[in-house]
Amino acid sequence: MSGFSEKEEQKLLGTLERESENLGITERRQFLKNALLFAGGGAVAAQSGSLAAASSNLPPSVPSWTRSLGAGVLTNPYGKPSHYEKEVQRRTVPWLTADSISSISMTPLHKLKGIITPNGLVFERYHGGVPVINPDEHRLIIHGLVDRPIIFTMDELRRFPSVSEIKFLECPANGGMEWRGPQMEALQFTHGMISCCEWTGVRLSTLLAEVGIKTEGKWILAEGADGAGMARSIPMDKALDDAIVVYAQNGEALRPEQGYPLRLMNPGWEGNTSIKWLRRLEIGDKPWYMREETSKYTDLMEDGRARKFTFVQECNSVITTPSPEVPLKAKGWFEIEGLAWSGHGKIKAVDISLDGGVTWQEAPLKGLVLSKCLTRFSFMLNWQGEPLLLQSRAIDETGYVQPTISQLREQRGVNSIYHKNSIHTWKVNSDGSVQNVQLT
Amino acid sequence: MTKLALSALFCSSLLFGCGQNQSDPKQSDSVSNSSEQMTDSAAKQTLPQQSYNSGKPFSIGQPVSQDVIAGWDIDVRPDGLGLPKGSGSVEDGEELYEQKCALCHGSFGEGVKRWPKLSGGQGTLVEDKPEKTVGSYWPYASTLWDYINRAMPFTAPQSLEADEVYAITAYVLNLNDIVDDDFVLTQENFAAIQMPNKDGFYTDDRPDIKNPRCMSDCLDPAKIKETASLRGISPTDHFKNDGNTGVAYKEDDHQAASSETAEIDIDPEIKQTYDTACKVCHAGGLAGAPKLGVAADWKARLELGTENIYKNAINGLNGMPPKGGRADLSDETIKATVDYMLKMSQAE
Repeated sequence: MSGFSEKEEQKLLGTLERESENLGITERRQFLKNALLFAGGGAVAAQSGSLAAASSNLPPSVPSWTRSLGAGVLTNPYGKPSHYEKEVQRRTVPWLTADSISSISMTPLHKLKGIITPNGLVFERYHGGVPVINPDEHRLIIHGLVDRPIIFTMDELRRFPSVSEIKFLECPANGGMEWRGPQMEALQFTHGMISCCEWTGVRLSTLLAEVGIKTEGKWILAEGADGAGMARSIPMDKALDDAIVVYAQNGEALRPEQGYPLRLMNPGWEGNTSIKWLRRLEIGDKPWYMREETSKYTDLMEDGRARKFTFVQECNSVITTPSPEVPLKAKGWFEIEGLAWSGHGKIKAVDISLDGGVTWQEAPLKGLVLSKCLTRFSFMLNWQGEPLLLQSRAIDETGYVQPTISQLREQRGVNSIYHKNSIHTWKVNSDGSVQNVQLT
Repeated sequence: MTKLALSALFCSSLLFGCGQNQSDPKQSDSVSNSSEQMTDSAAKQTLPQQSYNSGKPFSIGQPVSQDVIAGWDIDVRPDGLGLPKGSGSVEDGEELYEQKCALCHGSFGEGVKRWPKLSGGQGTLVEDKPEKTVGSYWPYASTLWDYINRAMPFTAPQSLEADEVYAITAYVLNLNDIVDDDFVLTQENFAAIQMPNKDGFYTDDRPDIKNPRCMSDCLDPAKIKETASLRGISPTDHFKNDGNTGVAYKEDDHQAASSETAEIDIDPEIKQTYDTACKVCHAGGLAGAPKLGVAADWKARLELGTENIYKNAINGLNGMPPKGGRADLSDETIKATVDYMLKMSQAE
């Protein structure tokens, strides 16, 4: 390619490759051929968006994409986000776990809008990796203290009346790295172990009515078909209240990462109780004390004793814009936005502080306000470069007010790992950059 | 179609709505306020079986025999319910533990790298850095038996015989000074085992904090102490360098190796085998395992020939269990997986 240095040539090829990657093979070949012809003639600037002077696609110029045709239908039979959104992905902090099979990744909350988490971005938590399950060979057995033990195929489960409900799903370790002090430099890592989807399936109470629970039946063991045999004891009250045996999320079949083809959903409760790849429900008179309800997912207090069966995710909130990943890039008006949620029900109100909790004002809630569901709040700020200590404080319908980190530490010490739902602080510097800080 | 069937069809779109409105007209007010309230409260009040079938089951699904259930019914409770017949000694357990467990948990339960520590830690639960082990924290021995049986060894879950589970459980209890060296654990004596921390747990007593909803003059601004987050321990390249630098999770050299050699033709099934059976040790070099992507680790072993590597992978050597603990894999699959690892390490 004449007229280009080797470095420029590599950059050009890289750009062309990126810009053509959503095209089919034939279109891609043609695109690259045309681009190279132009490059030979030194006219590449007119054809290639990002390499060209940035102004060529801005008015008064007519952008290249307006003077050409785009890809046709079925270029992507299962659609993907724009390749300009590539950095919107799940991430993790490598030192958190020994390996990636029993590990966790976080949702990029700073890039999401509304209350629904797209299926590909729902945070992951596996105890033995993601099993590859053939739905035709998947079975759910319900047995134990029942009148009629029953085995269900997926087709049979889909014959029951279904419900669709929007509920958050949160790991109780969300924020758990910061009991002793702030450690994470990004919203994705301070709060990303939460997602919210519309879940579709059969109420567990409907299935329990089929098998007939004996009067001694007070607990249910829910067990997964994964290599960890992930299992938790669930009290009967919850099962009869709002638990759902789920086969779809956000309109499509569950993703493998989320338990395909079948999972439990215990709304408002710590995520690990919503057993994925659900294969078995056993009714018993006592809890089982599985590994994930003794060794893990128990909350060690300062006196050396530990709380067990800490199921509910208490009221919590965080500001998502601005955040370390989304600094204020100019002076003027900005929408300050965030998420609030409570495992006890609906969000009643969210208060905002700009001065580290000295004064508070109520922020409007927007969109749907549903029980045990992410809820958006927002308010407009005319920022003129002054430093801020930005906080949000959520109140749920039980009247519970989200606590401060000092209150949590005073009550529980710093070793409980789970259920840290304290008011979070973002420090906005005068240059608009945002840092994670803790105020005590 | 009968009138009843028609109404059932319409009702099915309302889920529990029909039955509920008939039995409790007041509830229809809450329907207009919130569909959420309707389904939450309706679930407690009206089952679809009541609405549609006079409370009788729909009879969807098949009756299942105890023989079929038994294959999956593996749970064990603190009172010993669910334990199969069998026994295992501390002595037998030590040998099995060395073969199947020590790789990650250490010969004395001390834990390798970030893999769980199983022993020690007694008396540390009130300390600044508590060590939560089987001996210091776990309330019931049944949890140990159940977890080893359902999920261990990590790369080959549900591969152990009942007697092996008894023996390994006995040995881990022995590592924690809970049973003597000559102890034999059986179905009969199991429930008598007392764990040191059995009384260390109590049921959730939250909400435990009452934060008043103060709106002004809540704090003295001069007394606010600010602590900044630690720098450099969480990934930031993806937003600080204003662009995407790929996934934040880098497993040692492994990610780098796989992206550099992405042009290699890979059988997805073999990659899957590597990911699920081999990666745990070979990504990070656990127990001296040659690391994927590090040619030097493999070249020394290649001097003895590829056939020798196949042999060791199939039969096991030192920390390497036979077939990585996956007896279900064929020799051919193991060989193909070794080839894959050599390719990915550019050590062919």
